Amino acid sequence: MPLREGEAIVLRTYRLGEADKIVSLFTRPFGRLRAAAAGAQRARTRYGGTLEPLSYIRVWFYERENRDLVRINSTELVESFFDMQKDYRMQVAAQYVAEVAERFFPERQANDRAFRLLLGVLRAMKRSGELGAPLLYFDYWLLRLEGFLPDLTRCAACGRVLDDGGYYGPASEGLCCADCRTPTTPRAVAASALELAESARGVTPEQWLGTSKPAAVCAAARRFLEDLIEAHAEKKLITRELLDAGV
Amino acid sequence: MSDFAEPLARLIDELKRLPGIGQKSAQRIAFHLLRDSPEVAKRLAAAIIDAKEKIRLCSLCNNFTERDPCRICSDSARDHSVVCIVETPYNALSVERTHEFRGLYHVLHGALSPLQGIGPEQLKLKNLMERLKNGDVKELIIATNPTVEGEATAIYISKLLKPLGIRVTRIATGVPVGSELEFADEVTMLKAIEGRREL
Ligand SMILES: [Zn+2]
Ligand SMILES: [Zn+2]
Repeated sequence: MPLREGEAIVLRTYRLGEADKIVSLFTRPFGRLRAAAAGAQRARTRYGGTLEPLSYIRVWFYERENRDLVRINSTELVESFFDMQKDYRMQVAAQYVAEVAERFFPERQANDRAFRLLLGVLRAMKRSGELGAPLLYFDYWLLRLEGFLPDLTRCAACGRVLDDGGYYGPASEGLCCADCRTPTTPRAVAASALELAESARGVTPEQWLGTSKPAAVCAAARRFLEDLIEAHAEKKLITRELLDAGV
Repeated sequence: MSDFAEPLARLIDELKRLPGIGQKSAQRIAFHLLRDSPEVAKRLAAAIIDAKEKIRLCSLCNNFTERDPCRICSDSARDHSVVCIVETPYNALSVERTHEFRGLYHVLHGALSPLQGIGPEQLKLKNLMERLKNGDVKELIIATNPTVEGEATAIYISKLLKPLGIRVTRIATGVPVGSELEFADEVTMLKAIEGRREL
């Protein structure tokens, strides 16, 4: 079996037996993979801290015939997001990103833009120590890359410009205006929040963080986009509950 | 469809739920039990039920115990002014094996781990705060794992306790004894340098 190599972000790890770990990786060249790391639970592991959640690493691994699980040969740290997650709020935010990535990116499907999005958002959080604005950027771009982002400017039913905000429900694919709202679209999102979300288009995470965002508007925009993300994930996001509780 | 008779398949299934036991180990244990005398199986079953019924959590430190408070919490020869905070009863045992620590423990039964849905509410922090109220405890040693989860937990607790004015320390992390520096990754090396001490 050939030795493969590539950049990867560690999404999470599980214990496997007494000594090993299963690592969920989002690799740049091969997409999401599940990998076995022999001896990774031991105190004197050769992986050191490289397999901690959200580490940006270079990984060498072997494919195994007829098995989903690849076998990690070695790892090298490219960039650590360990210290950032000492802050519980940041830990929750970072692991929200990991949970969404696990839910949305299919196994063995390379997605370079998604990889750069993850890395860009983690770096933005690390550099700024903030999480509201970076997560809004992540939510917006995740939905766009996955093709789930509705038109944030016009009513999906009548096409009217949403300058008074929009309405949506748990099952709605888009937004509607006040005239078109029905009992199935009970939730409102303000025009200012839609406008802020839309301004994530065409800017890098660095440019996005360059200007300060009003916290309340940011939170309103995130609530809307994260409702959409959760609806498309078709399962409750564990980390989102903790995000809402303590962050 | 299972290759085994129903009762055997059920035993293997139950064994497989145990940590560190896969299909093969479960089969090996099940076959062993079947080959052995009925007394062996009865003793094992009785021991499991007995432990499950008699062992509970110490109301002070949350460690497993038969009587409450536990042996360590009720030992007057130990230093009741120092409490070592650990993630699991197993970790308390690791510290205990050094024979150097003479204080008490507090077991959190976990660490902050958002992906597993474990936030502060899920940790045994409430009775920690209770224990600290009377002012007997002068120092807390946080011995959670040197992982993202353990580190976040340590910082969270230290912030929580700041207003109480108790000395809070963190166990040193870094290069494992007996290993070579050249194999240490950057995170480990950084921790080792942060945790350096005067010689
Ligand atoms: Zn309309
Ligand atoms: Zn006790």
